[in-house]
Amino acid sequence: MTDRLTTHASPGRRHSFWSNVAAVAYKEASVIRHDKALLATVFAQPVMMLLLFGLALSNKPANVKWIVLDRNQSAVSRRLIQEVQSTGYFLPPQPVWSYDEGRQLLKNASALVFLIIPQNFRRDIERGQPRVQLLVDGSDPLSAARVAGYIGQVASTFATRPGVITAQVPGAPAVLPVPIDLRQRFWFNPTLLDRKFFLAALAGMLLTNLCLSATSGGLVAERESGTYEQMLALPTTPLEIVIGKLVPFVGLSYAVFFFSILAAGFFFGMWPQGSWLALLLVTLPFVLASLGIGVFVSTLAHTSAQAVFITVFFILPSFVLSGSMFPYQLMPHGVREVGALFPLRWYQIALRRIVERGGGFTDVAGPILALVILFGVILAGISWRMKPRLG
Amino acid sequence: MNWRRLRTLMRREALATFRDPFTLTILVTVPLVALLLFGYVLSTEVKGLALGVLDNNGTSASRRLVAELAAKGTFDAHRYTTREALEGALVSGAISAAIIIPPDFDRDLRAAASGRDLPQIQLIYDGGEAVLAGNAEGFLRGLISATVAGLVADETPQVAGARPAALLPAAVPPRASGIEVVTRSVFNPKLDGTPFMVAGTFGFVLSFLTVLITAVSIVTEKLTGTFEQLQVTPATSMEILLGKLLPLGAVFAFDVVLMVLVAGFLLRVWPVGSALFFVIVSSFYVFVSLALGLIISATSATTAEAVQKSVLFSIPLVQLSGFAFPIRSMPTVVQWLTEVFPATHYIRISRAIYIRGEGPLSLLPEIALLALFAVVLMTYALRTIEARQ
Repeated sequence: MTDRLTTHASPGRRHSFWSNVAAVAYKEASVIRHDKALLATVFAQPVMMLLLFGLALSNKPANVKWIVLDRNQSAVSRRLIQEVQSTGYFLPPQPVWSYDEGRQLLKNASALVFLIIPQNFRRDIERGQPRVQLLVDGSDPLSAARVAGYIGQVASTFATRPGVITAQVPGAPAVLPVPIDLRQRFWFNPTLLDRKFFLAALAGMLLTNLCLSATSGGLVAERESGTYEQMLALPTTPLEIVIGKLVPFVGLSYAVFFFSILAAGFFFGMWPQGSWLALLLVTLPFVLASLGIGVFVSTLAHTSAQAVFITVFFILPSFVLSGSMFPYQLMPHGVREVGALFPLRWYQIALRRIVERGGGFTDVAGPILALVILFGVILAGISWRMKPRLG
Repeated sequence: MNWRRLRTLMRREALATFRDPFTLTILVTVPLVALLLFGYVLSTEVKGLALGVLDNNGTSASRRLVAELAAKGTFDAHRYTTREALEGALVSGAISAAIIIPPDFDRDLRAAASGRDLPQIQLIYDGGEAVLAGNAEGFLRGLISATVAGLVADETPQVAGARPAALLPAAVPPRASGIEVVTRSVFNPKLDGTPFMVAGTFGFVLSFLTVLITAVSIVTEKLTGTFEQLQVTPATSMEILLGKLLPLGAVFAFDVVLMVLVAGFLLRVWPVGSALFFVIVSSFYVFVSLALGLIISATSATTAEAVQKSVLFSIPLVQLSGFAFPIRSMPTVVQWLTEVFPATHYIRISRAIYIRGEGPLSLLPEIALLALFAVVLMTYALRTIEARQ
């Protein structure tokens, strides 16, 4: 094998190297064109993911069920309930008449939040120390923390004295009951829409799926059906076969990439804020690294079924740990570093920098370098595993 | 139905599984890795988050504020000297939040101590990371409020003599707004994300892995011809099927126990409710997944097709079952759709037992629904298989 790999370095063989690659690429492209199942995945999956992430999924609380135990039953307590309700995150509250009844509803998940207004709420207000109690269902911690935050904000700005209207500019952050004036601003995504978080990384998730599932089974299938031996019998080196097989997928990957960027732009108004050229550039090492992983899996597996198994169980952690679906900055150390081994981690960092924050080449130099290194490691792994194995 | 024949078939299946190291590895590692992965990804707390600091004041007061923010390991302070550098770091993602302290911060503090204007601090968050920004906001507000209150208290004696810090609220100008909210989280006092994800991971593993393994194992058997060989033996097709499903069901019941133990010892998450009840309900849910695997295997001609169908089925499983994203935040039509997935109901049951410690009685409606799913899907699976033979 070493002979074959080194001989094409001479000038005469270099020409034949690229023509061999082109020939294998042409053969692979015709195979893809006739693979209906693959094409269906390529076209159906982006649409499905776009709909899911664009319209269906959000971590932002909505339609929150809540219960109120209003022991005060005064105009001011009813106004407080009204103000919490008008934040828009809640369904109409369900009134209860005892503490135990409320606890029971929390326990069987009929409500997420239980607000308790004490009997002498009105008198407390006159004394200047109003206080209410809030029980949240911690079994859904993310929602619980956020909903408690919303109610806390309403309470902190609640005008307790009749006739005095708190000076609150619409859209301005809530005034806190502490001796400080905090001016908060959320850049790049002022309303904290989860959609923007997901859609910015959509291209990365789609490309991971495409590159891995397309290539991982390829070599094994050829070995199973015997066409791999046929190709080895041709005057092509294993390296030429691998590169030739990858070229059409790079083209297909860029098609999917454009789809995800354009669809997010047209349907959800999320156009890339930064350099398009940098975006195109960073996509290449990512696609190559992902394709490389697919090929590597293919060399590990003995049957197509095994190849798909390994692929599926590689895609899953790369979605979870890369930060595409959950922020990786919140994961504990150790888990966070493991995530850095997945190409998707670096690609989603680059995507967010360019698409959301308007970054350019200098902002994505780090991720590009990381992706190139990962690609190098994977290539080394492939050439270690790729031996012409006959029979 | 002949018990002896069935036992032979089951023995055959067990031997075949134990001889296949690949499947065996998957059956043990995937549940464990999934548990460890998902157990850590969801978090409501903030640790070591990169916080940009632009200290235009540069006094001991402002330095103490910054030191306080970095003290508990919640934030990693990165100092910048110009606003441009700070904004650039925010764009490049080097920092996720930024605090800008104004030049006259210490003067404002003294003014606040004597009951006049409030000191002002500017905070900027990277809203692109929506969850992160939401979490960081709560922490920063809390930490800054507490620290500034302390700083104002320190300033107070210089202005108004020896006034104890406990009397501080009196120094703040009386306000016409604000109610104190005493919040307490029941079932999960520290709002730890791990129990939520652990309980959900059972649903993920028992749905995805079970369907996948079942479908692939049966299709492989069909392809290699061993299924036909079995059919010419005296065994009935019902016996062949049970001989295949019962060992698989046992393996996944074992997986449930394994996961309960690993979650308990490694992640320190034990079920609040009855562990026995949980294992029984889970084993019962395995039958729903086995039936789905049967249906997929009966309608697939190749292994690749079976895997593709299983994976396609797993996309809504992760996204729409409430495993990772709250169902109540979805559009109404999608919410109806989620009720069609058995996994949605199982995950609901799993969390109820694991976190809120609910018993069989209050979960009866959900369990009855799962039973309905099991009966309908099993009947459909058997019909499909008979039709194909």
